[in-house]
Amino acid sequence: MNRIVSRRGRLLGLALASVSFLSVAAASAGDVTVWAWDPNFNGATMKEAASRYTADHPDVNIIVDDSASQDDIRAKLQTQLLAGSTDGLPDIVLIQDDVAQKYLQSFPGAFEPLSDTIDMSVFADYKVAAATLDGKSYSLPFDSGVTGLFYRSDYLEEAGFSAKDLENITWDRLVEIGTEVKAATGHQLLDLDLNDAGLLRMMMQSAGTWYFNEDGSLNIVDNAPLKKALETYAKFYQADLVNPVSGWAEYTGSFTSGNTAVVPVGVWITGTIKANADQSGLWGVAPIPRLDIEGSVNASNQGGSSWYVLASSDNKAEAIDFLKTIWAEDVDFYQQILVDQGAVGSLLAAREGEAYQATDEFFGGAPVWQNFSTWLSQIPAVDYGIFTAEVDAAVQAQLPTIIEGGDIDAALEAINSQAQQQVQ
Amino acid sequence: MSVTPATMAQAARRTDARAAIRAPADPFAMVRRGLVYLLLSIAAFVSVFPFLWMVIGTTNSSADIIRGKASLGGEFFNNAVTFFTQVDALRVFWNSAFIAVVATALTLLISSLAGYGFEMFRSRVRERVFALLLLLLSIPFAALMVPLFVMFSQARLVNTYTAVILPTVASIFIIFYFRQATKAFPTELRDAAKIDGLKEWQIFLFVYMPVMRSTYAAATIIVFMANWNNYLWPLIVLQTAENKTITLIVSALTSAYTPDYGMILFGTVLATLPTLIIFFLLQRRFVEGMLGAVK
Amino acid sequence: MADARLARREQITGWAFIAPALVLLGLFMLYPIVWSLWMSFQVGRGMNLSFGGFGNIQRLTQDVVFLRALGNTFTFFIIQVPIMIVLALLFAVALNDSTLRFRGLFRTAIFLPCVTSLIAYSTIFKSMFATDGIINQGLMAVNIIGAPIAWFSDPFWAKVVVILAITWRWTGYNMIFYLAALQNIDRSIYEAARIDGVPAWARFRYLTIPMLKPVILFTTVISTIGTLQLFDEVFNFTAGTGGPADSTLTLSLYIYNLTFKFMPSFGYSATVSWVIVILVAILSFLQFLIARDRRRPS
Repeated sequence: MNRIVSRRGRLLGLALASVSFLSVAAASAGDVTVWAWDPNFNGATMKEAASRYTADHPDVNIIVDDSASQDDIRAKLQTQLLAGSTDGLPDIVLIQDDVAQKYLQSFPGAFEPLSDTIDMSVFADYKVAAATLDGKSYSLPFDSGVTGLFYRSDYLEEAGFSAKDLENITWDRLVEIGTEVKAATGHQLLDLDLNDAGLLRMMMQSAGTWYFNEDGSLNIVDNAPLKKALETYAKFYQADLVNPVSGWAEYTGSFTSGNTAVVPVGVWITGTIKANADQSGLWGVAPIPRLDIEGSVNASNQGGSSWYVLASSDNKAEAIDFLKTIWAEDVDFYQQILVDQGAVGSLLAAREGEAYQATDEFFGGAPVWQNFSTWLSQIPAVDYGIFTAEVDAAVQAQLPTIIEGGDIDAALEAINSQAQQQVQ
Repeated sequence: MSVTPATMAQAARRTDARAAIRAPADPFAMVRRGLVYLLLSIAAFVSVFPFLWMVIGTTNSSADIIRGKASLGGEFFNNAVTFFTQVDALRVFWNSAFIAVVATALTLLISSLAGYGFEMFRSRVRERVFALLLLLLSIPFAALMVPLFVMFSQARLVNTYTAVILPTVASIFIIFYFRQATKAFPTELRDAAKIDGLKEWQIFLFVYMPVMRSTYAAATIIVFMANWNNYLWPLIVLQTAENKTITLIVSALTSAYTPDYGMILFGTVLATLPTLIIFFLLQRRFVEGMLGAVK
Repeated sequence: MADARLARREQITGWAFIAPALVLLGLFMLYPIVWSLWMSFQVGRGMNLSFGGFGNIQRLTQDVVFLRALGNTFTFFIIQVPIMIVLALLFAVALNDSTLRFRGLFRTAIFLPCVTSLIAYSTIFKSMFATDGIINQGLMAVNIIGAPIAWFSDPFWAKVVVILAITWRWTGYNMIFYLAALQNIDRSIYEAARIDGVPAWARFRYLTIPMLKPVILFTTVISTIGTLQLFDEVFNFTAGTGGPADSTLTLSLYIYNLTFKFMPSFGYSATVSWVIVILVAILSFLQFLIARDRRRPS
């Protein structure tokens, strides 16, 4: 692409510069810029880390820009990497784990390998694996997307279920429980969004599988966990246990206003649930159910992201030292962000800390963080590949048919053929 | 005949006088009039309702909004405080206003010149050029973004107002609009002005621009709105928080893990006000345009 | 001799008026467009590109998602544009009557949707059309439906909501162009026709419509382009997926996904962009042709 940006382009550039009547000062050298989304979660934790680091390194200035959404950050990053322009890029950027490989593989050399300077064995394996390419790991693992089954303990109690009834169960059993809860309370079991294949991926990963084989080829038609997951999905609808939602607002709005009984989701939802202080004591967290097939466990992952250093950064050394000093070593920091933001990090040593031992009255006095830590260590690592978004779209295209009782094998064939066409 | 505002006003009065001669009373007029009011009232209600809902939303807490509460609440002040503590409102408003005002002024000038030029001076070559422009109008912006970014980054203009404004000021859309509107511009006016010895640029400035006021008014609203709400390009080219527009900032608020809808709606209402004010100020131009009277 | 010199002067003045715009367009449009045309012959991922001849076009013909997006875009275009143009014209003519009361109020009200910011508007529409939203509550209260409709989870209803939403948002916008244009029509012609006993509908049909023709043509072409590039609504309503099951996926959203969400294949997304250009070219040509034909008989 740099070829196209030839001398002519530079001439145009010069012409443009000469008509520049207004320019705004950019960040000066020596500043470490960070892009992250969500000021209350990622932004706040990064700012906490920055203030800890600059306390000992007053010469370094860390600027956290959390004013863009994740979609926006992806669009900006991709435009600039495609343009071959490193001008406006930050020094550190937050990237979600399941899209990381796409960036690493389509923009070789754009990101700085961190495993040379930072010991990756101190982090959860599956997080490191998501950012490893050709033996080098490129990310400083941040939040875990370890999943839990958040549930309304009051609704379940009304139907005669206790916390123990949710331990070590299968999704099929959850359908049975949901049916009884609905009969007793009138509440639907869960919220589902046909535009989001997140639950299906979560189920699949609990069996250590993803959309791809080890060599990167598609694994759809003979993917037993995926098939089982789709069948389970259809079961929810056939048992009439679903509250259909669309989009983040309606989704979170539904369960935080008490519409539904359970929410199978990543741990990062904790803050959203606890934002409704009047529901304190009415919630519990159980391990997520497993698929009723060999190899599936009661633990999985959804979302979660990590920090990447841009190779073009003028302040690489500072950026890496910052990540290393705080994010790879400061156990106390992890206690603080757990308490303040509900952020579960991936540093294994952090789990021995005080905050992780605490119980939470909001969740009926359960040691929730310890539970999440336990489940975290059981998450099967999978290779997210580089075409997850494409296959997701293919899966979503079949969901309306599937929930109406359509043939699953035919759906798998259709997913496979669409995905086959898209991954090129 | 030389054209002065006075002669045009005279002409306007003449028309008004003729309009005063009413046709004989129509027995169905009342019914028809009633239907028109009914139709407009329904349309106005449907149009205003979501807006009203948004304004009501600014007085409620996020949880109430999600539950669909549709009555006034007491959270307005809280939402405002949250918004102003989380957003550097003055700064982002200034960014938006500067970009929108400069871009609108430049767009109106450059594009109306071109619209006038295309309609008044017809030649085969220029017709071809115009047809080509219409074709270019249809290319999706997403396809142009990467090369545009390359250009601006080589000119070291990334993260500047210039980079946001420049690509928008020659608007094919507005050129097209002015050209179509110019078709109604009475050529007698131009001929008369020429006989009076006015140069072409003087005709444009002193005859065309005043006469086409209603067209300029409509274009101002359209262009200002487009710039104020512009999203994708500013998103890509503006890098630091202190340069971003209010549209970008408010939009990002919605993608938080726990969005505060009361605060977001407060921000959106605030972001909507400038365009609304511009519309209020300019809307009378649509009824007071004088061109029709001169013909 | 003098004539020839005059003609040359006219030529020069003509170019002078359009020169600033042409220079800017050449720089910020033509150059990127030529670049994107060149890109549409490139295949590969991310920055690893190579010349692929017509590979992208071949890929296009086998792409079921592209065909779905094309179908949806046309559905939106064929249903939505006529409804909106007719509504906008009706409102403009009604509001142009100087004896009508509360004109300013009606005008502002109907224009309000298009200044409402995209975020507000999509938040509001999503909330109104939520499963337990106000629309379902209203429809159930008057017994039009028995159970709530999951608007955004149903491929058919999701399309309906998108059409309602864009009509809601853009009708007032188009009305502005008609209102401004109606001011350019000599009122005395109407009065003369009225005194001669020409009924209202005939005045609309034989006076208003022909005189507004350039602007109607303009709004139709603009709406065609706008609808074929439809992006904002579907992106915000469906979290960028165009779902459920691609039922609201438009060509522009597909281009966005190909560029930013999927494995970045810029060459392919440029190819899809050119499909829009060709479609608009054909449709605009047809619209100009129709507008011209009608003029002839009179």
